[in-house]
Amino acid sequence: MIQIEGLSFRYPGAKRDVIRELSLRIRQGSLFGLLGPNGSGKTTLISILTGLLPLLSGKIRIDGKALPGHLQEIQAGSALVPQEYAFYPRLSVMENLLFFGGVLAIPAHELRGRLTEALAVAGLESFESVRAEHLSGGLKRRLNLAIGLLNRPQLLFLDEPTVGIDPQSRHFILDAVKRINARGTTVVYTTHYMEEAEMLCDEIGVLDDGRLLACGTQEQLLNNTQSRELTVTLTAAPTAQQSGILSTIPGLEIISRELRMAHCTETDLKRLMKLLAAEGLDICRLKYGYRNLEELFLQMTGRQLRN
Amino acid sequence: MPLFALVTKEWKLLLRDWHALLLLFAMPAVFILVMSLALQNKFAEQQGVNIHYYLVNKDGSPASEALVKRLSAMKDLKILSSSASAPELIDKVRDDRAQFMVSIPSGFGKAMQSTDPLPVQMLAGPGVEPAMYMLFEAALREALVRVYLQHALAPLKTQMSAITSVGDAGLNLDATDKLLHAQSLYQVDGRNRRPSSVQQNVPAWLVFAMFFIAIPLSTTWVQERQQGTYARLRSMGLSAKDLLLGKLLPYLGINLLQVALMLVVGILVVPWFGGQRLTLGHAPLALTLMALALSFASVAYALLIANLVSTGEQATIFTGVANLLMAAVGGIMVPRFLMPPVMQALSRFSPMAWGLDGFLDVFLRPGGLAAVAPEALRLFGFGLACLALAGLRLAKQGGKA
Repeated sequence: MIQIEGLSFRYPGAKRDVIRELSLRIRQGSLFGLLGPNGSGKTTLISILTGLLPLLSGKIRIDGKALPGHLQEIQAGSALVPQEYAFYPRLSVMENLLFFGGVLAIPAHELRGRLTEALAVAGLESFESVRAEHLSGGLKRRLNLAIGLLNRPQLLFLDEPTVGIDPQSRHFILDAVKRINARGTTVVYTTHYMEEAEMLCDEIGVLDDGRLLACGTQEQLLNNTQSRELTVTLTAAPTAQQSGILSTIPGLEIISRELRMAHCTETDLKRLMKLLAAEGLDICRLKYGYRNLEELFLQMTGRQLRN
Repeated sequence: MPLFALVTKEWKLLLRDWHALLLLFAMPAVFILVMSLALQNKFAEQQGVNIHYYLVNKDGSPASEALVKRLSAMKDLKILSSSASAPELIDKVRDDRAQFMVSIPSGFGKAMQSTDPLPVQMLAGPGVEPAMYMLFEAALREALVRVYLQHALAPLKTQMSAITSVGDAGLNLDATDKLLHAQSLYQVDGRNRRPSSVQQNVPAWLVFAMFFIAIPLSTTWVQERQQGTYARLRSMGLSAKDLLLGKLLPYLGINLLQVALMLVVGILVVPWFGGQRLTLGHAPLALTLMALALSFASVAYALLIANLVSTGEQATIFTGVANLLMAAVGGIMVPRFLMPPVMQALSRFSPMAWGLDGFLDVFLRPGGLAAVAPEALRLFGFGLACLALAGLRLAKQGGKA
């Protein structure tokens, strides 16, 4: 549904591109997680896709329609839920929805149904008349989401929609996003919470320094044999002679009771198990593969702090 | 439809923001009231100019007594009574506890009839403004000339009546009073009257107050930008034009309400506080045109500022300083005729000067639509230029023009 080819972008006056030669495909109906550290280019990419920033170089097609020529059609079928509380605090929940409904020029005979639907998906039915400024953080996030649903988008951009809220509200929003996706809406979801991406997304793209480092399903990313890691903790440290025997496996590090291999194939693993059994060394704990998405993310993007 | 939603939203937001309402309506009303009353005391024709001075007469001659009598009769000049010595009085003037001291020297009357008259000494306090100094000096000089004519030339008058048959009638020294007929061309109900300070000052401060709409407008705009609301609205397909019109129309209405409120204050409230009543002139269409033109110019200018600044603090500081500069150059704070030629030439480029000229045409001169048309056109032109620049800036930031 979204096809991006050779996209680069540089802000006026900046010395380097914030998006560099990025190519990406997001299939229709996907719940796509866009992961990346601060400053990696996620928000810039979403801003270009929603027409907030101009397309300077590269090609973008959404549902077969090219940007920027078909921007109006693309905007009519998509919605952006920004990271900020992008509504009016002094207006009530219903007044906010009515205002944005008016901006979207939703026909009067459809408006009531759209409002009811958005309120129901966001669980805001009993807060209609409450001023937005008096809502809790979780309810504000839900109102932010509800506004994004008013035009029944086929493509929904969610920019860190669960920042700063309690676990209950977060799970409510995640469930709502799943339901929205289940009815056929393509969702592009940016987040810093890896467990959210693990729980929610069927496809993930990792962005850093304006480049797409990896893209695929979780299984594809996590089962990359080139980068499986092994950590074995023994009940007792091996003797010098046992260490010598174990060291015949290339890449194995022995640190007291712990054995580590940064890149361990299944063959390496089987051979190590045989040697440990032969030497009578008992295993206390064993970890193989990636521990989780966060580990993969940190390995890809590095651990250095970002601006 | 989107425009209707934008305008309705803006009104709802304003009606729920007491701080903004106070800034938009109460502040200009209080401002006009205070400025009218404060300046009335300085310039109004009824209360007169408040000049206080000490008068020391060291001469007991008929001429000095006549001078004292003439000075005492001047209602705008108030003689302060004091038993202090002359040096003590000088100290008081030096400390600005009185504005002037006039000292008539001993022998003043006698010397007046000689070729070497003794001067009356006029001393001014350090805080006396130049205009006030000139005013007092002129008043004193006029009184002295009258006394001189009556006393120094009295012997000549007697001699002339003796050698000619014309008599006293030919040398009536009081006839000088009839040599000037002063009249203002300002008319109320068909009669010539001197315009009140309210009439002269309300237009100036009205124009000044109207341009302050830039503060609430630009801070609201900055907030919406920072909250991500504008990004959301633009992602919904709203153009820069929609966004600008969505602010321009409601704030134009607010600005016109401000004008109406300030005029009501001039007409009704200022008289309650003892001030003079504002009269609106006889050209309602010209007044409406000027109000529209100035409102359009000030709101468009506010939209340009809103799109140039990044924070609310910047908006407030920029508007404050820029408005003060425009007011200073535009003759709001200092009358233009007092400015040097370069500044007078510069003032022709201040939108506040155009607004002031237009309103003065309506309030003081018999100006109709034709009289205010040039100023109104300039203001509409300025507003359109500001809107175009704001639109370009907004489009450059990512929205569609």
